[in-house]
Amino acid sequence: MNKTFCAGAFVLVMCTALIGMPGCSKKSVQSGGDSQGMAKGGNSDSSRSGVGNFPDTGVQSGGGGLRGLDKNPSEEHVGSGTLMAKADPSSSAERQMEEVRAEQAASFAAGLRDVLFDYDSWTISEDGRQALSRDAEWMKSNSGALVKVEGHCDERGTSAYNLVLGEKRAKAARNYLVELGVGANRLSVVSYGKERPSCNEHAESCYQQNRRGHLALKTGK
Amino acid sequence: MTQVKLVSACLGGVLLIAGLVGILESGAADVFLEATRPDFQKISLGVAGIHNAGGPDWLGGRIEEVLKKDVKRSLVFDLVDLPSLGIQTPDIGNGMGAGSKVVFKQAAEKGVSVLVWGKAGLKEADKDADVNMEGFVYDSGSDEIVGGKRYAGSPSVVRLMAHRFADELVFRYTGEPGIARTKIAYVAEQGTARELFVMDYDGYDTRQLTADGFLNLMPQWSPDRRFLVFTAYRNRNTQDIDMIELATGKRWTVISLGGLNITPALSPDGNFLAFASSHEGNSEIYRLDTRTKAIQRLTVNPSGDLSPSWSPNGRELVFVSDRGGGPQLFLMGSDGSNIRRLTFEGDYNAAPVWSPRGNWIAYVCRTHKEYKLCVISPDGQKRMQLTTGPGVDDSPSWSPDGRHLVFSSTADGKSHIYMIDADGKDIERLTFQGTHNSSPSWSPAS
Repeated sequence: MNKTFCAGAFVLVMCTALIGMPGCSKKSVQSGGDSQGMAKGGNSDSSRSGVGNFPDTGVQSGGGGLRGLDKNPSEEHVGSGTLMAKADPSSSAERQMEEVRAEQAASFAAGLRDVLFDYDSWTISEDGRQALSRDAEWMKSNSGALVKVEGHCDERGTSAYNLVLGEKRAKAARNYLVELGVGANRLSVVSYGKERPSCNEHAESCYQQNRRGHLALKTGK
Repeated sequence: MTQVKLVSACLGGVLLIAGLVGILESGAADVFLEATRPDFQKISLGVAGIHNAGGPDWLGGRIEEVLKKDVKRSLVFDLVDLPSLGIQTPDIGNGMGAGSKVVFKQAAEKGVSVLVWGKAGLKEADKDADVNMEGFVYDSGSDEIVGGKRYAGSPSVVRLMAHRFADELVFRYTGEPGIARTKIAYVAEQGTARELFVMDYDGYDTRQLTADGFLNLMPQWSPDRRFLVFTAYRNRNTQDIDMIELATGKRWTVISLGGLNITPALSPDGNFLAFASSHEGNSEIYRLDTRTKAIQRLTVNPSGDLSPSWSPNGRELVFVSDRGGGPQLFLMGSDGSNIRRLTFEGDYNAAPVWSPRGNWIAYVCRTHKEYKLCVISPDGQKRMQLTTGPGVDDSPSWSPDGRHLVFSSTADGKSHIYMIDADGKDIERLTFQGTHNSSPSWSPAS
């Protein structure tokens, strides 16, 4: 009697568990960030600028969709996992590449020079000062021009730390230009770390080209 | 604390005691990692064929091949080659026939603990019909067929069937969900752009997630596997932290403070996003409460602080700071309290990631001018270098079972993605296409 009861209860529990389990292939797709994030961000900080909406990303249910081995297994349907959207072939890619090309052509035409850095370093060398002096002269005689100072690194080191290193290089170059009398409001900085190398060989000559502060002339957008 | 946690993941009580003894005995110079330590007894498992039951010729063999690789990578099982032990692998159907008894007896005699077999075919004669797969498991210890699985799905998901079955085997013998259905997000170069991709943990079934033509960097998974957070460049000039939903491709900006906004990491419960930002001057670590959207600054230092990674209980963060000159690892409470330096060896230690079991932190260490993978215990007492040789290793990320790391390396020339056992053995290359693959991030287990 007792045994029957236990077995019955077990079957009941298992059934409930199975019904309640979403299963890997049918993981319900909830709406994205917008509604959930807004609903949750209740306090005064939620309107803070610079912070977007945030969905709930905590783990709602464990189990992993595994149902265990079974002596009389019932058929499980295997779907394609979490449905993954294909990348949207946006026009943004084309536009960005066009703009990059325009920036490069304009910077080249203006004769703006890169400043090169030593390994692990963001100190402006004597050569760097000379390059930046000429860049500063150009900027003074082209007072409408806006320049983006890009910090770059060679491939050695981590992606993450090189972004910080690249920013230090960009800021060092920007600060020296300001010292030379270029208005700070005409200069912006951005770090690309080791993600946009100008040279792809694994050799010091190439590494030196990549450790650079690059002055990109903004092309009016 | 961490040692107890480390051991609790081992199999059964005997191993627990063996593990404790092993730890007490192991000195600082003699470090082994849990599931791959020499005294960890893997369970011997043989695959007695996934036989074709109608359908294309490749079907059974494909499933068997994927299953065997999954079993091997699990590091829970020792995959044995049955024919080399003299064990025949005829189609024994559901294992109830007389012929199967012979096979079971041979397996038991040769010390094979678990025997797995199955069959696969098409549901209907039509070549586009759904695939059926059945798998069975015999346990020689208890001398019984402990159970099986039956799967159905389109021919495009046969690899997933094998992955699912492999995870069931791991689950059966460890109670862990297995890693065969996990995924790896990464960055791949397209022209001069870097876009986000996701692939299966074994390098198959690659999907592109972004296509905006500029830089998308350092993806990290949300705990529920539905989203990635990553660094993106708005109009090429401003770095933001974006989020993308995998199911829909919907993407939006979550942090746009100005300056550098990099290395986002969601806390294990999803309630906080730690990240580095230079919007107040130099790179500092901040913590966003994802519910209230309040931002708290955790570090205050004129040098660069970045790359926060959460301890599995969410109470601590390991991060990188160059406050001593070169980058080094530091620890702090998740509220920014009690900052202390963790690494002292070498002049460049970066990209830390806390293991899911809490007992190790993997990172990139510079030795002899090369950038290699190292692990260190959170108390700083144990340290080990995992990779050697030329090439820049970068961006380690733990498998959810803590037995593997995935990372990028230029060891073969171009940057590609590799998997390595947590003890530094068995490197497996996962990507072969393209000019540059980097920043891998291993998904949580489902």
